[in-house]
Amino acid sequence: MGEPKLRPLADVLRDWEAVIGLEVHTELTSLRTKMFCNCRLSHDDAPNTNVCPVCLGLPGALPVPNREAIRAIVMAGLACGCQIQRRSMFYRKHYFYPDMAKNFQTTQGPVAFCMHGRLDLEVSGEGAAERPARADADARGEALARSADGSYVVPVRILRIHMEEDAAKMVHAGGEEGRIDGATESFLDYNRCGTPLIELVTEPDLRTPEEARLFMEKLRRTFRTLGISDCSLESGSMRCDGNVSLRRRGSRELGTKTEVKNLNSFKSLHDALAFEIRRQASLLEGGDPVRQETRHWEPSRRRTIAMRGKETADDYRLFPDPDLAPFDLSDEFVESVRSLMPELPDAKRDRLQRQYGLKLHDAAQLADDPDVSARFEEAVALATEGEKRSASGSAGASARGVAATVANVFVNLLPAFGAVTSAQAAGVSLLLVRDELTFAQARELLAALDGTDRDPEVAVDRLGLRQVSDVEALDPVVNEVLTRCTEQVAQYRDGNVKVIGYLVGQCMRASSGSGNPKLFRKMLAERLDS
Amino acid sequence: MASLDQLSASTIARGVAAGDFSATEVARASLDAVAARDPKVQAFLEVSADLALTAAASVDAARARGEALPPLAGVPVAFKDNMQLVGTHTTCASRMLEGYESPFTATCVRRVLDAGAVPVGKTNMDEFAFGSSTESSAFHPTANPWDTSRVPGGSSGGSAAAVASGQVALALGSDTGGSIRQPASFCGVVGLKPSYGVVSRYGVVAFGSSLDQVGPFGRRVEDVALAMDALTCAGRDPYDATSQDCEPDFRAHLDDPVEGLTVGVVPELMATPGLTDEVRAGIALARAALESQGARVVEVELPSIASAIAAYYVIAPCEAFSNLARFDGVRYGRQQDGCSSLARQTALSRARGFGQEAKRRQLLGAYLLSSGTYDKYYYPAQQVRTLITRDYARAFARCDAILMPASPRTAFRFGEVSDPTQMYAADAFTISSNIAGNGSVSVPLGLGADSGMPVSAQLQGPAFGDCRLLAFARALERGVDCGLGLGKGAPVAPAFAGKGGDL
Repeated sequence: MGEPKLRPLADVLRDWEAVIGLEVHTELTSLRTKMFCNCRLSHDDAPNTNVCPVCLGLPGALPVPNREAIRAIVMAGLACGCQIQRRSMFYRKHYFYPDMAKNFQTTQGPVAFCMHGRLDLEVSGEGAAERPARADADARGEALARSADGSYVVPVRILRIHMEEDAAKMVHAGGEEGRIDGATESFLDYNRCGTPLIELVTEPDLRTPEEARLFMEKLRRTFRTLGISDCSLESGSMRCDGNVSLRRRGSRELGTKTEVKNLNSFKSLHDALAFEIRRQASLLEGGDPVRQETRHWEPSRRRTIAMRGKETADDYRLFPDPDLAPFDLSDEFVESVRSLMPELPDAKRDRLQRQYGLKLHDAAQLADDPDVSARFEEAVALATEGEKRSASGSAGASARGVAATVANVFVNLLPAFGAVTSAQAAGVSLLLVRDELTFAQARELLAALDGTDRDPEVAVDRLGLRQVSDVEALDPVVNEVLTRCTEQVAQYRDGNVKVIGYLVGQCMRASSGSGNPKLFRKMLAERLDS
Repeated sequence: MASLDQLSASTIARGVAAGDFSATEVARASLDAVAARDPKVQAFLEVSADLALTAAASVDAARARGEALPPLAGVPVAFKDNMQLVGTHTTCASRMLEGYESPFTATCVRRVLDAGAVPVGKTNMDEFAFGSSTESSAFHPTANPWDTSRVPGGSSGGSAAAVASGQVALALGSDTGGSIRQPASFCGVVGLKPSYGVVSRYGVVAFGSSLDQVGPFGRRVEDVALAMDALTCAGRDPYDATSQDCEPDFRAHLDDPVEGLTVGVVPELMATPGLTDEVRAGIALARAALESQGARVVEVELPSIASAIAAYYVIAPCEAFSNLARFDGVRYGRQQDGCSSLARQTALSRARGFGQEAKRRQLLGAYLLSSGTYDKYYYPAQQVRTLITRDYARAFARCDAILMPASPRTAFRFGEVSDPTQMYAADAFTISSNIAGNGSVSVPLGLGADSGMPVSAQLQGPAFGDCRLLAFARALERGVDCGLGLGKGAPVAPAFAGKGGDL
């Protein structure tokens, strides 16, 4: 039986509004120990080596909350604009499964440490086009303002962020698709059991798969900047479930939702939601109901399949954990956390733009990664200092020019070279600022510097990479190109001045990339205009 | 040559320190007493002779090196079988944990052993501490040393009987709704349930986590004070988030006078149905003993106590259901062979591993916590908890301790109480201080005129007022003669006194 033909996402979204909410689990990987015991957190140790009576749920063992985990979740809450609850409790959520040795998971009840926050999501570029123009209303029906380029901002409400413990890892062998049913053997690794986990739940404020993807990216950036997790979707330290339902454009009533699991990459998140929206639309358009169920994304077959229905809803018998007293957070504690908060990516992007006059794109890219932005700022300081020293007396490059060049190096060159120091990046930037290096040469130089402690000023000569800015030396090259490219010369003289770019390229090629392109342009123009 | 059972824990420790006898001699005497007496009493589920002799040898070696000995040096101690001790099994008297080897040692056990005590063995109990007679033990019943046709009380019946029959000087029990004080009363020994949080619960298999508290049994209040100092002198346990610091100077305050202090009595409680005349007479005797030492008696009210049993039988089963969920036969404990699915293995392991009462409590808890039912029972029960705690706060604004029975009656015969709700009523006087979390102690008063069985009074103190509570208990002990003379403490049950265990 063939799959029913699904309409393209863009078509579906013209008729239907997708209502999307996310549940995001993040392991607090930067902590040293587990949530309720002193066992070391690790991802790659031999199975069942970081275990103790507490995380193995042995009779008589008791949980003791990890204070650093509470600090981390308060940080996350503050970064997401949440109200930090001065009193909250841990609850027990019961289910019989060997991945949780106690047969209950310690989590939080109706009141979580962090409640009712908001993250503003900027959607721009191609992704912005996924939301049809006529659907420009946010969750509360307020009109979304679009910029001229189509970009817009969605306020995404955060329902809560609560603290819980992760389960053990299970591997089933001998059965179908690694499931426990029919398996001949099941392996349990309790190293992960008890890992501190924070679960963030959004309100259903997202409307397109692209918004969901961007939201996850933003959350990942934010948590990484806070330093509370490595947020790896691949290794599972950050996991996301998507809830999605459809309703006719203009309707306010919510449709039946499905929950999609196994979204272990940004692409999976986007594609699974897109598939699910198309699948639900196909059902609804055919007059069939959407079943409330949990569905599993199969990346290889690019589809979701039903995992289990909700009619057998589990009763988790939640009640306050009597081993853990209600948690009182003092104002002093919350303020001490607030005072230690690092600069968040949005604020950093704005500051980089303001302080260094960077382009939005460059500033945003640099602000993405706290390590990169720190190295960038270090390199700008070094390059500015270097430029001042060498240009004493003469005009030299403007501070903004230096910063723009360093940003260019960081955004467009450095990602390929992981082990270049800030000082080396500053040195290469200075060579670019002084026109002593072409961009192509800069790439070559960085490749040579990567992973060494060599000085760019020395290396550039040793490699014979310095850009030639000597008119006499470049003159033969210009002559040769003008003689050879008679057609382009004629076009130029007929008024097509843009063709000079082609001629500059030819000069660069003829000089093996060592000639100064600005000088070539100037010399070519003089000759052609005479 | 005297029998070991004539010596209090403090006398043993002093004698070992002074070199009157060695810890090894004491340990052998205790093991002899167990061999001679326990076939009839059946207080022990496991006797840890090797551990006892090793611990005793290390005390003797320390003395030989000239080291100062710790306060419980050489004192034979028994532990309830829900307390983990490496080198022993911890079964909670359940088939579910039959043969389960303790993988670590409970903090309370560790601290008593650190104080030099010698671990003689693990004592019988109601299965997972569900009961008031020790009859629900999956392995065997325990006899009351004062009349072996009667129960020792429960759930810590084995610990109470081991002390009452003179096999050990001290024992630890746990008390969730009266499981130390009621068996102490049935067996005529002193039993203290400290305030919640005073003694660590780490390593004690949980029944009702918000109610459970570990405490000592002894034949003299002084011995109980000695044990409390050992349990608390290292401060709060970092492995138990609910444990708290308290002042560890029980022994030092033991003989603080009660003159000028106030004892509260609760008239309505003395009208509780089923309260026997001999127990009522015992309370009158206790009141007179305290008044004669200058304590003033006032009437106080605890109006919400009437709801304590109802609230307890909501809260305790809910917590028990949750705490016992881990016994699924997957990684330890009884595992049903030959099952084709995990669900079936779990179901059958539990069905065959747990006894009647354990199933009853877990089913009750599973029902009470289920959605729809939870709001109807769990919340009101917690509200009652708040009301009872307030009652106590009001009462302790007017008095320093409250005097009441520990049990409405003396020990009953095996099989005499078979209706579970009637069994639950045995805890009428003890449950409220588990609900409120304050400390309570059961102090023997002698034998009842009608039954000839031990009768006790219960003294309850404000939360974390356990030091003064023990001073009250000591004053009561000073004022009554349990058969050894005024202030001498409780005697070993006559049928066992002096049998084996010569020192």
